Amino acid sequence: MLKLFLWLRYLRKKRIVLLSITAVALSVALLITVASLFNSFIDAFEQSAAETIGDVILAPPIRFEKYQLLIKRLEQISTIEGATATLSAPGLLHFGKGNVRAVVIWGIEPERRAKVTGFKQFLHKQSQLPGEPSLEVAGQPEAIGGFVGIGVVAEPDEKTDEYDFQTAEKLIGQQVVLTTAAVSKTQEHKDTTAQIKRKTIKFTIADIVFTGAYHVDKTFVYLPIEKLQKTLYTNSEEPLADQIQIKLTSESQVDAALAQIRGIWQLFAAEQLGWEPYLINRTAIITSKKMQSPLVAEFRKQMGLLLMIFGVVSFSVILLIFCIFYMIVITRQKDIAIIKSCGGTSSSVGWIFVGFGGCIGIIGSALGAILGYIITKNINTLEEWIRIIFGLKLWKSSVYLFSKIPNEVDWDWALLIVVFAVMAAAIGALAPAIVAAKTRPVEILRYE
Amino acid sequence: MYKIILAIRYLLRRRITYFAVLAVALCVFIVVVVMTVVTGLVGDFKRKSHNFVGDCVVGTESLVGFAYYEDFIKMLEQAHFVEGVSPVIKSYALVSREQTEQNAGLEIMGIDPVRHSGVTGFGKTLYHRKDDVAKAFVPAYDVNLPGCVVGIDLWLIRTGKSGYLYEDTPAEVAFVVSCFPLTAKGAPAKAGAGEVNTKTFYYSDTSHSGLAHVDSSLVYLPFEQAQWLCGMAGPDKRASAIHIKFRPNVKLQVGCERIALLWQRFKQEKAGEKQANLLDIVTVQSWKDYRRASIAAMEKEQTMMTVMFGLVGITTVFVVLVVFYMIVSHKSKDIGILKSIGVSNANIIQLFSGFAILVGLLGSGVGAFAGWLFLLKINRIEDLLFEHFGFQLWDRTIYAIGDIPNQVELKVLAVIIASAIAACLAGAVLPSWRAAKLEPVETLQVSQL
Repeated sequence: MLKLFLWLRYLRKKRIVLLSITAVALSVALLITVASLFNSFIDAFEQSAAETIGDVILAPPIRFEKYQLLIKRLEQISTIEGATATLSAPGLLHFGKGNVRAVVIWGIEPERRAKVTGFKQFLHKQSQLPGEPSLEVAGQPEAIGGFVGIGVVAEPDEKTDEYDFQTAEKLIGQQVVLTTAAVSKTQEHKDTTAQIKRKTIKFTIADIVFTGAYHVDKTFVYLPIEKLQKTLYTNSEEPLADQIQIKLTSESQVDAALAQIRGIWQLFAAEQLGWEPYLINRTAIITSKKMQSPLVAEFRKQMGLLLMIFGVVSFSVILLIFCIFYMIVITRQKDIAIIKSCGGTSSSVGWIFVGFGGCIGIIGSALGAILGYIITKNINTLEEWIRIIFGLKLWKSSVYLFSKIPNEVDWDWALLIVVFAVMAAAIGALAPAIVAAKTRPVEILRYE
Repeated sequence: MYKIILAIRYLLRRRITYFAVLAVALCVFIVVVVMTVVTGLVGDFKRKSHNFVGDCVVGTESLVGFAYYEDFIKMLEQAHFVEGVSPVIKSYALVSREQTEQNAGLEIMGIDPVRHSGVTGFGKTLYHRKDDVAKAFVPAYDVNLPGCVVGIDLWLIRTGKSGYLYEDTPAEVAFVVSCFPLTAKGAPAKAGAGEVNTKTFYYSDTSHSGLAHVDSSLVYLPFEQAQWLCGMAGPDKRASAIHIKFRPNVKLQVGCERIALLWQRFKQEKAGEKQANLLDIVTVQSWKDYRRASIAAMEKEQTMMTVMFGLVGITTVFVVLVVFYMIVSHKSKDIGILKSIGVSNANIIQLFSGFAILVGLLGSGVGAFAGWLFLLKINRIEDLLFEHFGFQLWDRTIYAIGDIPNQVELKVLAVIIASAIAACLAGAVLPSWRAAKLEPVETLQVSQL
C-alpha cells in the first residue's frame, strides 16, 4: 500500500517522470510500428504469391499434354481443393500509334483459376458480379476475350501512385493486338534447331486485373488457355500446359500433400506422357511460400537488424530512467530515511524504486503500444498526409510491390517489445534503488 | 574564462554527466555506422547509374524510336561542351538458347561498343574484352561470328561475397534473338509475312554494371544488327536514344539545358520532314532524371531512416535535460555566487550552453571514433560471421552488393556531430533557463547552505 501511495505521489509530483514515460512510449511505438510493418509486408508478400499462383506449383521443364487428366487425378486427393493449368509466353501488346508494351501472356482457365487463387476479386468489373469469372465478350460469342493487368494499360499517377480506373474501364470491350512467338524444334538432317514463328492474336479486353502487386499488374495479360495453345502450337492436337497451380485444403499437411502430388505426377508423366525419369525428376513441385522463402528470409533479417539498431539506440531510455530515478532518490532522501526509521527494510525501499521503474515501463509501453497501433493502422493515411503537406510520396507500388502499405499490427512482436520495455525500465531503476536502499536514516534525519 | 573552467569542472566532477556523454556517444555511434552504410549504398547506386547512362540522354520510351538521330549527332559533335555521343537501340526481344525450346522476353540494347564506352562505363563492365572494347561483340572462339554481351546475372551464378564464377574463356553458346519490328507508325512491320526478325548471336562476354535489373534482363547487341531486328533500319533510320557525355568542366544542369536548346532548334529544323511527329515524344534528361525512379526510392529510404533516428534521438535530448536539471539543482549555490558578483542571466545561459556543447562534442567524438573503428572492421566482422555462422548482412546471391560501404563521409559526419551538439543544446535549454532565473538571495540564504 505504501509503495502504491509513493508511486502515485511521485507520478503526480515529479513531473520529470513524465519524460521517462514519454521516452519509453516513443521507443515502444517505434519498435512496434517497425516490426508490424515489416511483418505485414512479409505476410502480404507470401499471401500475394498464394493468391497469384496458388499454394503449390507443379512446373515441369517442358510443356506437357493431357493436363486435364492430371488435374482430374489431382482433384481426387482429399488434400487438394482445386488445380488449374497455365500456358505462358512472352509477347508485345500493341495499343496502336506506337504504343507497344512488353508483357507475359498467361493462358488460363478462368473458372478453375478463381477456385485456386483469389483471381475473381482482382477483376475490376466481374468481381462485383455473381457467378464465375469469364473471358467471354458480351454479345460477341466468337471473339477472343482477355484480361489485362491495370499496369499494362496505365501507369500509376506520379503523385498519388493510384491508377486511373475510369480511363482503364473505357478500354473494356476494345480490341487490341498481341504479338507473340512460338518456338518449335525442327529436325534437319541430324541437327535439331529451334524455329521461331510470329503469331498475332487479336482479342477484346473483357476486364481489367488489379491485384495490388505492381509487377503482376504491369506484366500479365490473360487469355483462354485453349485459344493461346491453338495459336502458338497449331500442330498439337492435345491441350497443352506448362504449369499446374494447386490449392490445398485448409486442413491439409503441406509435406504430405506435396508427396501425394509428386506420386500422382510421376505416375502420370510415365504412363500418359511416356517421359524418362530424368525429365520427371526435373519437375519442380514446390509451395509458393517455399518459392519466396529466400527473399522472405532476407526481409526477416533486415527487420531483425533494424529492430536491433533501434533497440540499441533505445538503450538511452535505460540511461534516462537511471538519471531520473537517481535524481528522485537524491531529492527524496528524507522520505526514504523516514520509511527506514519506521522499520522499512533496505530491500523494501529498493523494491519501491524498482517497482516504480516497472510502473513507468508499463505505463510508457502501454501508451507506446496504443501509439504504435494507431500509427500502424493509419500508416496509409499518414503517408497520404505527408504527400499532401510535403509533396513527398514515400510509398510507391513500383518500388515496394504493393499499392497500399500492409498495416496489420503484429501482436506477438508487440508483446515481446512491451515485456522488454518494462524490463528495461526496471533495470534503469535498479542502481538508484540500490542507492536508496543504502541510505542511512541517521545521516539524513540529523537536525543540522 | 570562468565559463570554461566551470564547464570542465562540472564535466569532470559530476559523474552523472558521463551518462549524458554515453547517451550521445551511443546515438552518434549507431547513426554514423548506419548512415555511412546507407549513404555508401545510395552513392554506389548513383555512381553505377551514372556509369550506365552517361551524363545526358536524348530519347523516347516508345519502342518505335525517333528518326534523324544521325543529323542530331552531327550537331552534338560540333558542340564544344560535348565529349562523346552514342546512339542506342532499346527494345524487347524473345531470346532463346539455340537447341532448346526455352525462350524468355528480355530487353535488348544495340550499341557501338567503342562509342558507348566513350560515353558510359560500358567497357569497364566487361570481363573478357575489358581491355579491347572494340572486340566486345567478337567471340573469342570464332572472330567471324556475330557476338552478343549478356547481363552477368543472365549467364553466371552469383556466389557469396566473392562475386561470380567467371569462366576462363567464353563458352561457345548461341542465342536466337527475335524482335517484332515496328513501322514508324508503331504498327507491326511484315504483318503479312508472319515472321519476326530473327538473328543468331554468339555469346562473347558478360557485362557487370552492378545494377541488378540491368544485369538480369539486358542483352547488348551490335547497333546495326539491333536496328535491323527492331525494324528501325532502312532509308529513315531510327534510334531509341542518344547517350551523351559532357566535357569535364561542364556542369550537369548547364550541359542538359544546352542540349535541350539544341534539341528544340533541331526539332524546328526538321518540322516539315516525314517523320517529324516522332520527335515530339523525345525528351532530354540528365542521368539523374533518367534513373529518377530508382534513385528517388533509395533517397527516400535514406530520408525515412534519418527521420526515424531523429525520433529515437529525442530520448538523448531527454537524458541531457535530466542531467542538466540535476546539475542546476545541485549547483544552485555556484549560480547564486556567480550572480551575486554580477554575472548576468545571459552569461549563466552561456555557461550551461557551453557545458552542453562540451558534452555534445565529447559524446559525438567518442561515438564517431567508435563508429569509425567499427566501420573499419565491418567487412572483416561480416566475413567472420559468414565463416562461422553463415550470416551475411545482405545475402550476396540476392542483392547486387559487394563489400559493405565503410568510407565515412566527412559531410555526413559533420552533420551528425552538429545534430548531436544541437540535441545537447536543446536538452540544456530548460535547465539553463531555470539556472538563469535563480535568485541569489534565495539560493544563498543561511537556511539553504
